[in-house]
Amino acid sequence: MVSTIVHAGFALVLAAGLLRGDYDRRALAVVLAVVLLPEADSFLGPVMSGAHRTVGHNFTFPAAAAFLIYYDTRMRGQSLLRERVTERGVRIAWVALFVHVFAHVSLDWAHLDGVNVLWPLHDSFFRLEGELFWSSVDGLVQTFVDVDLDPETGSRRVDAGSTGTTQSVHVNNPVEPDDPEALAEAETIDRRFPVAGRGWRLYLVGLGLFTVIARRLQNDPPAE
Amino acid sequence: MAPTLLNAALGALLAAALLGPAFDRRSVAVVVAAALLPNLDAVASLAIAGATNALAHNVWVPIALAGLLYWDTALRDRSVLRERYGWRGVRIGWVALAGFALAGIAPDLFAEPGVSLLYPVENVYYVVDGLLLFSTQDGVVQTFVSTTADAPGVLPFESPGTTETHAVPTWVNPDGRPGLALGSERRLVLVDAGWQAVVVASAVASLAVRFRPWTRAGTEAAPEGSVKETSR
Repeated sequence: MVSTIVHAGFALVLAAGLLRGDYDRRALAVVLAVVLLPEADSFLGPVMSGAHRTVGHNFTFPAAAAFLIYYDTRMRGQSLLRERVTERGVRIAWVALFVHVFAHVSLDWAHLDGVNVLWPLHDSFFRLEGELFWSSVDGLVQTFVDVDLDPETGSRRVDAGSTGTTQSVHVNNPVEPDDPEALAEAETIDRRFPVAGRGWRLYLVGLGLFTVIARRLQNDPPAE
Repeated sequence: MAPTLLNAALGALLAAALLGPAFDRRSVAVVVAAALLPNLDAVASLAIAGATNALAHNVWVPIALAGLLYWDTALRDRSVLRERYGWRGVRIGWVALAGFALAGIAPDLFAEPGVSLLYPVENVYYVVDGLLLFSTQDGVVQTFVSTTADAPGVLPFESPGTTETHAVPTWVNPDGRPGLALGSERRLVLVDAGWQAVVVASAVASLAVRFRPWTRAGTEAAPEGSVKETSR
């Protein structure tokens, strides 16, 4: 996984930008809890092959959650969610969902073997990796999605960074720091808890801390 | 240098997070412009050797600007900024400075080709890249700060070279050296890696949510209404 701390850092930046008047310690705590929760799928690893980056890391559940919140708060006459947590709670729920999709699932999508994008509808890991640039020689070039055209048959093959299925992919995490088979034979198990594995991840952690501290130091606008 | 689009996206995210009641289209534009400003040193590199990621990518410019801003808004009896633009002006000034330093300069520091942090006092480029983790076998492992003294600079970070030995290619200046180099290939990098695509998408989505064109449609007097709507 991209370290949970990196997710939290980027989540703080996004949450500060979206919470508006609801920004306070409790709202941030809710958002951080939602960032933390999907990592629990690491613990399913021993009982389900490839559970990490699958059960808690997909775009199917967020889409379903978005539909449920929308249905409950907009389409029904009486909203269960609004009754339980008031209008403010509904707004925070939307922000938490946004943060889950962008700061957690998407960042992991761009890391190691990616995430199981459409699980449980479709079992396939995808990885977001590539670049997009404009060159004075080649024009606009992107390498995120490879489109191969077979010259003989004319058939088209699209590769959006597929890396395998729950059977073939194992993403290392502190619970299972290596392939389950290798772990069964290993004498000592080295569990590694990453904080920041690259410079840009350290940067996102710092940006999150800066945002929270800056929000604390800011003064309120004068009353008019 | 980091893709300009990434600087803009990070600037927009900082603007949304920090502007508070001063958030509107114009103030976001100011902060994003501030985040893009450091990249202009690539233009200066056409005339000055090794100006890219050095001339405006150093700690002195933000420190000087912060000092100026602090002096004007806190130490002087009459603040020029506050008198002309009021509370909003002061807030936008500080957030624009944060955009300049953290969205404009800092992203370049954390990956190749690096930033000449102390330029012009010292012309060494620095890169802060490595890893930090806790291992049950090895304890704390970190490679961001290196204390081994084979780097040419005074700061304890990895260095890819100095302004003389290390040229930073940009689309403005493909070989990173003075002169126009008209014949060579130019590359305007929009997104360098997957995570940058995620940051750019997050910024676009955040601004879309904050400005909410879909709820504003149908309400009368859009521009005025939008200012009230977004500045809560």
